[in-house]
Amino acid sequence: MSSVPMSHILFVSTALFFIGMYGLFTRRNMITMLMAIELILNSVNINFVVFNKYLYPDKLDGIFFTIFIITIAAAEAAVAIAIIINLYRSHRSIDVENASEMKW
Amino acid sequence: MNALLLTAVFGVIMMLSSFLLTSKTAIRGLAVSGMVIVLAANVLEMMGIVFFKIDTKDMIAFDRFSLLFNSIVFISTLVYFLLSARDMEKVGINYGEYFALIFFVLCGVTLSSSFHSLLILFLGIEIISIPLYILTGSDKRNLKSNEASLKYFLLGAFSTGLMLMGIALIYGATGTFSTNGITTSPTSALVIAGMLLLMFSMAFKVSAAPFHFWTPDVYDGAPTVFTSFMATIVKVAAFIAFMRLFNDEFGSLQSRWQLLIALITAITLFIGNITAVFQQSVKRMLAYSSISQAGFMMMAIFAMNADAREGLLLYSAAYCLATIGIFAVLMKLKDYSFDGFNAFAKQQPLLAATTTIFLLSLAGIPLTAGFLSKFWMIKAVAGTGKYLWLVIFAVLMAVVSVYYYFRVIQAMYFKEGDGQTIEASLPFKWTLVLLAGIIVLLGVFPNWIIYWLYF
Amino acid sequence: MGASSLIVLMIAAVAFSGIAILISKFVLKATTNKQKGEPYECGIPTKGPSWVQFNVGYYLFALIFLIFDVELIFLFPWAVVVKQVGWLALVEIVVFFFILFMGFLYAHKKGALKWM
Repeated sequence: MSSVPMSHILFVSTALFFIGMYGLFTRRNMITMLMAIELILNSVNINFVVFNKYLYPDKLDGIFFTIFIITIAAAEAAVAIAIIINLYRSHRSIDVENASEMKW
Repeated sequence: MNALLLTAVFGVIMMLSSFLLTSKTAIRGLAVSGMVIVLAANVLEMMGIVFFKIDTKDMIAFDRFSLLFNSIVFISTLVYFLLSARDMEKVGINYGEYFALIFFVLCGVTLSSSFHSLLILFLGIEIISIPLYILTGSDKRNLKSNEASLKYFLLGAFSTGLMLMGIALIYGATGTFSTNGITTSPTSALVIAGMLLLMFSMAFKVSAAPFHFWTPDVYDGAPTVFTSFMATIVKVAAFIAFMRLFNDEFGSLQSRWQLLIALITAITLFIGNITAVFQQSVKRMLAYSSISQAGFMMMAIFAMNADAREGLLLYSAAYCLATIGIFAVLMKLKDYSFDGFNAFAKQQPLLAATTTIFLLSLAGIPLTAGFLSKFWMIKAVAGTGKYLWLVIFAVLMAVVSVYYYFRVIQAMYFKEGDGQTIEASLPFKWTLVLLAGIIVLLGVFPNWIIYWLYF
Repeated sequence: MGASSLIVLMIAAVAFSGIAILISKFVLKATTNKQKGEPYECGIPTKGPSWVQFNVGYYLFALIFLIFDVELIFLFPWAVVVKQVGWLALVEIVVFFFILFMGFLYAHKKGALKWM
């Protein structure tokens, strides 16, 4: 099954990375922005696994890095959702445009 | 290794203490004694006594540089606890958790100051960041605090994504995570792209100029107690990680990134200092001042020689101690604007005198630690023999910075006003005096720190 | 097994489900009534709007579940090497679970697991 060339998978992961970037910059809904961040992290996961599998198959470094990224991403998501709930309670909205107490 | 395990253990202990101990004094006492134990264990490790011998497979390297830096961080945190722990009670009811989160941040600081693998760098930076998102938003009823934590989270997660992509590209090019330096020649495009991504994400974490825009808002919105922690200890920890990364991993590519770092340094100095001049609130001014100080610390990363390493340690000590002192005084005030400091010297002559010393140190006036650390930075950059315009520019910007620091001194001593009444306990005052003494002494005998790096 | 078999499989899958739908369309006599538009054709009709806000306690449970769930991912690499490493692996996993248990104890004592 490993007849799929590496560049194809790298293409998918790069596309995911930039979709995530695009979502982070254009969307104003906080949950969507959180999903965009998860997309970025997952694209990096794909990168790690692909590099490990195709280029350095004798060691499992990249796959272990992926495991750490997954746990950190879960912790980050938990904190983010807590922040969003807190903000919703005060603003009654999860649109970042409404969170503008301070000017940039 | 001592400090790494002990900070984590004390984090858990503080977390449990939040429901086991009912009195706030007991929690505070436990935190302070925990900090003393961690500091003592770290100093013991510097003398060669290691409690826990764990084979980390060369992923963590506790060398003199990182141990000395950890000691500086722990001393600063101890001072921070002594001065400001009482003010954390005002933030919310979860008193024990704040200490637990701070201990977890210190665990991350220990990791990110001694990593020898990109995995540990990532873990360290994240263990620093995630508790900070919570601490920033810990004032739950305050809109500004919520918003600051949201902004901090979004930008922090974004920069984490960049960093991970950089690590992935470097892994793809070299096949290893250990930071032994890039040896493949010719350097592939993957390495260069990964290096740039890592540089940008670290610049985010230290709030260097094109990526600084989150800093004023987050520092302004966060509860002042935690701004004090974020602006000092966390920032210098990110700098140490930055320096280790670019020294160990990308040291062989110095000619390629030096110009870029020089530009980032210059822009950081310019934006930080010029914007700080126009601020009306002292808290926001200190946020911009932390950006401008970050500009000076970036000079160490630019130079990357022995002077730079010594200078960065000295700078982190001087900057942390002085800024923690100023924030401790600021927290006692109700009005954070410059006018809030009017006639402060008449009201509290001792506090005003110590605050003046802190401000002088930040501005880089001779006989203070701040002067010597700035001097060390400039010496380091001049020692590389390249980009001498950076030296001249840095000196110019240091002159500009005198203006906004002296505005506070002017308000305290030469302006009439009703003067805010503040209550400051006697131990608080004596700690401040001790802190000011340390800053002056470090300004005369910097070798007290540098000595430990080499003996 | 090349790409051609994949294409054949896809065509077969589409045809299989498509033919079933077509047959049912021809054989059955279509009737329409109001009940067909209900979300649960054979359930109890809902009372009031179904878009109610959930109690924030659900999110708390979800967050705690998320953390503990994802921590289990560390068991996979552990399970691979547990036989080679031997007793040390057992000790390490006990330490790991002890730390997790501390977190669980904290959540329990703080009342995060209490239902309203």
